[in-house]
Amino acid sequence: MGVAGNARAGVVSRKHLEAGPSRYVIARRLLPYALIAPALLVIAGVLGYPLGMLLWISTQQYGFRELIQHQGVFIGLQNFATILTDPQFNYVVRTSLLFTVINVGLSMFMATVIALLLERVSRPVRILLSSGLVFVWATPVIPAVNLWQWMFDYEFGVVNWLLTHIGVGNYIHHNWFENPVQGFAVITIIVVWGAIPFLALTLYAGLTQVPRELVDAAEIDGARPWQVLTNVTLPIVRPLLIILFSLSTIWDFGVFNQVWVLLNARPNKDYFLISVYSFQESFRVSKYGLGAAAAVVMVAILAIVSIFYIRETIRLTAEQSQ
Amino acid sequence: MNPRKLLFSVAAAFALLATACGGTNSTSNTTGNETGTLTVWLMNGSAPQSVVDGVNADFKAKHPNVTVNVEIQQWSDVTTKLDTAFTGSTPPDIMELGNTLVAKYASVGALADITSKKGSFENSGTWLQSLTDSCTFQSKLYCVPYYAGSRAIIYRTDMFAAAGVQPPTSMDQLMTVGQALMAKYGSDPNFSALYFPGKYWYAAAPFVWDFGGDIATSSGSKWSGALNSSQAQQGLTELNTLVSKLSRADKTGDELKQDAAFAQGHIAMIVANGWEVGVITDPKSGDPTLKDKLGAFPIPSHTPGQTAPVFLGGSDLGIAAKSKNQALAREWVGLLGGTKFQSQMVTVGGVIPNTTTLVSLSTGLPAIFASAAKNSRFTPNSPNWANVESANVLQDMLVSIFTGKASIPTATSTASDKITTILNS
Repeated sequence: MGVAGNARAGVVSRKHLEAGPSRYVIARRLLPYALIAPALLVIAGVLGYPLGMLLWISTQQYGFRELIQHQGVFIGLQNFATILTDPQFNYVVRTSLLFTVINVGLSMFMATVIALLLERVSRPVRILLSSGLVFVWATPVIPAVNLWQWMFDYEFGVVNWLLTHIGVGNYIHHNWFENPVQGFAVITIIVVWGAIPFLALTLYAGLTQVPRELVDAAEIDGARPWQVLTNVTLPIVRPLLIILFSLSTIWDFGVFNQVWVLLNARPNKDYFLISVYSFQESFRVSKYGLGAAAAVVMVAILAIVSIFYIRETIRLTAEQSQ
Repeated sequence: MNPRKLLFSVAAAFALLATACGGTNSTSNTTGNETGTLTVWLMNGSAPQSVVDGVNADFKAKHPNVTVNVEIQQWSDVTTKLDTAFTGSTPPDIMELGNTLVAKYASVGALADITSKKGSFENSGTWLQSLTDSCTFQSKLYCVPYYAGSRAIIYRTDMFAAAGVQPPTSMDQLMTVGQALMAKYGSDPNFSALYFPGKYWYAAAPFVWDFGGDIATSSGSKWSGALNSSQAQQGLTELNTLVSKLSRADKTGDELKQDAAFAQGHIAMIVANGWEVGVITDPKSGDPTLKDKLGAFPIPSHTPGQTAPVFLGGSDLGIAAKSKNQALAREWVGLLGGTKFQSQMVTVGGVIPNTTTLVSLSTGLPAIFASAAKNSRFTPNSPNWANVESANVLQDMLVSIFTGKASIPTATSTASDKITTILNS
C-alpha cells in the first residue's frame, strides 16, 4: 500500500513534472505552423480557391447561358477529351512548348552574357548599362508592346524603313505577321527584350558573390577563362540559374500580352499560344468549360516542368549539406 | 449587448435595407424626383458628342436628381466586357448593342423584355424592319432600334478626274477604273486604288451575296455554313483578283485604321460606312481639306447597272434585365431613339436613322449610303452568330485567301464547317 502509494505519488509527480516541458515542446513545435498559418490562409484564398474553381469549371459544360445563371452542367472529363483530340489544340501545345524553349534559351543566354559583361566593364559603363536595363524593366508591358507594334507596322513602321534604307532588301510594305515564323520572331524579340533586365541584374548580383580567391586560385593553376567560367563561376551560381530557368519557363509558357496586344486583340489562329487559346475559348467564344480545361492542361504541363526543377534543387541542397 | 439583442438589431437592419431597396424598385412610372445613377454604354463613334449632350440635357431637365454616366466602349473587346457585365449583379442600365449581337444576349434573358412598352416609343410603328427584326427574339422585343449603317465605296473625285475615270457601274468596270488609277498613281509604293485590309469581312460579304452565295443557310433550327458553295467561291475569287491587283493594304490587317490611312492621301477608294466621311475629314484624326474631294458610289454588282447587296450594320439600344431603373432607362432610350435626336443623328452623324420617316433627311454623301441600304442583307439571326464573329472565322478565311496560304476551296470549306459547328452548338 505504502509502496503503491509511493509509486502512485511518483507517477503523479513525474506527470506533474513532465506536463510543463511537454506542453512547452508542443507549443514550440506548433509555433512555426501558427506563424505560417496566416500566409497559408492567404495563399489558399488567392491561389487555392481560383485553382479549385478552375478545376471545377473544367468538368462542366459552361457556356454563356450557364454563366448568366451561375450554374453549369457536370460532364466529367468531356472537355478534356474534346481539346485533347482537337488538332488545333495539338498545334497550340507544340507551338507553346517550342516558343518556351526558344525564349527561355535566348533570354537566359543573353542575360548571362550581359551579367558577365557587367562584372568586367568600368564603373560608369556599368551604371549606364544597368540603368538602361532598369528602364526596360520599368516600362509597363502594354505601352511597350504598342511601341514595338508601331516599329514593325506594315505601312508606317521604322523597321521596314530602316531595313530598306540600309540596303538589306526591299522591305516596303513587308508584313511581319503574314508568315507566323517571322511573326513569332518579332514576338520573341519583344519577350526576350522584356525578360533580360530582371535575369541579367539578378545574375549579376549572383556573380558578385563568387569568391574572388577561388577565381584567382583557378587562374594561378593555369585555368583558361572558359574553364574558370564552366568549372568555378557557373557551378557556384547554379542554384540561382535553376531558379531563373524555372521562373523564365513559367513566364514564357504563359506569354499572352505580347501576342494579344501586338495582333490587335484578334490574333490569327497561327498565333495561338496556349494562354491565347484558353482566353479565346473562354472569353471570346464563351466556352468557359473548354477554356478552363485548356488552362488546367497548361498548369499540368508547367507542374511537370516544375517537378524537374524542384528535384534538381533538392539534389543540390543535399549535395551541399554533405 | 447580449447575443439575442444583437441578432435582433441585425435582422432589423436587414429588414430596413430590404424595404429601402423595395422602395426604389417599385417605381414604375417616373415622377421627376427620382435619384440615382443611370449608366449608359455607347460604342465608340456611334453618336456625336453633341447628340449625347443634348439627350442628357433633356433628360436632366425632367429628372434633375438623376446622374447619367455615358461610357464609351470599343468595338474590339465589347463582347467580353458585356459578358462580364451581364454576369455581375450591376450591369450598365442601357447598352448599345451591335445588331448582330442582340440575339445572344436576348436568348439568355440578359435584356429586359419591352414588348408591352413598344407603343410608348416614338416612331415605333415606322422603325426600320431589319433593325426591329434584330431586336426581336422568339417574337418578343428586347431592344429599341438605334441607327443603321451600310457600306458603299468612298472615292477621291480629284484622283478619278486626273485618271479620267467615272464611278463604275459594274464589277468589271470597278477593275478597269482601279487599273487606270494604278497606272496613274501606282509608282507611289504606298498607293492603293482600292484599299482593302485582309480581315475586312463586312466588305467581303457583298461579293459573296452578289453572286448568289450566302454565309449560312437554315432549315428548321439547323444551320449549315454555305461559304463553300460555288456562288460564294465565285464572289471571293472576284474579290481576291481585285485585292491582289488594286490593294496594297495589310493583308492581315483590319479596317480600324483605314480612315487614317485614307486621310494620308495615298488611297483612291475604300469600302466604308457613311459616318467614316466624318472621320476622314476630322481636323484632329484626318484631313479637313479632303472635304470637297470625296464622292461615294454603291458597291457595283457583277450584273452591269445593279448594285451588290450590302451588309446592313447598325446598333440597337438594350436595357439590362437586372437594371433597377427600368422606367428611367426606357425614358433615356426613348429620347435618343426619338424624332428630335434621330434627326440630329442623320444631319450631324451621317447615319441612317431608326425610322423610315426620317431617311429623307439624308442629303449629299449620306444619301448615297442610305440608298445603298435598300439592297441589304443580314447575318444569320442566331444567338450563336456572335461566337462566329468572336472566333474570327470569316477574318481567318479572308486572310488565308489573300495571303495565298490556302486555296479558295480549302479556305471556304474550313470556314463553312466551323460556322456549321458554332451555329448548331
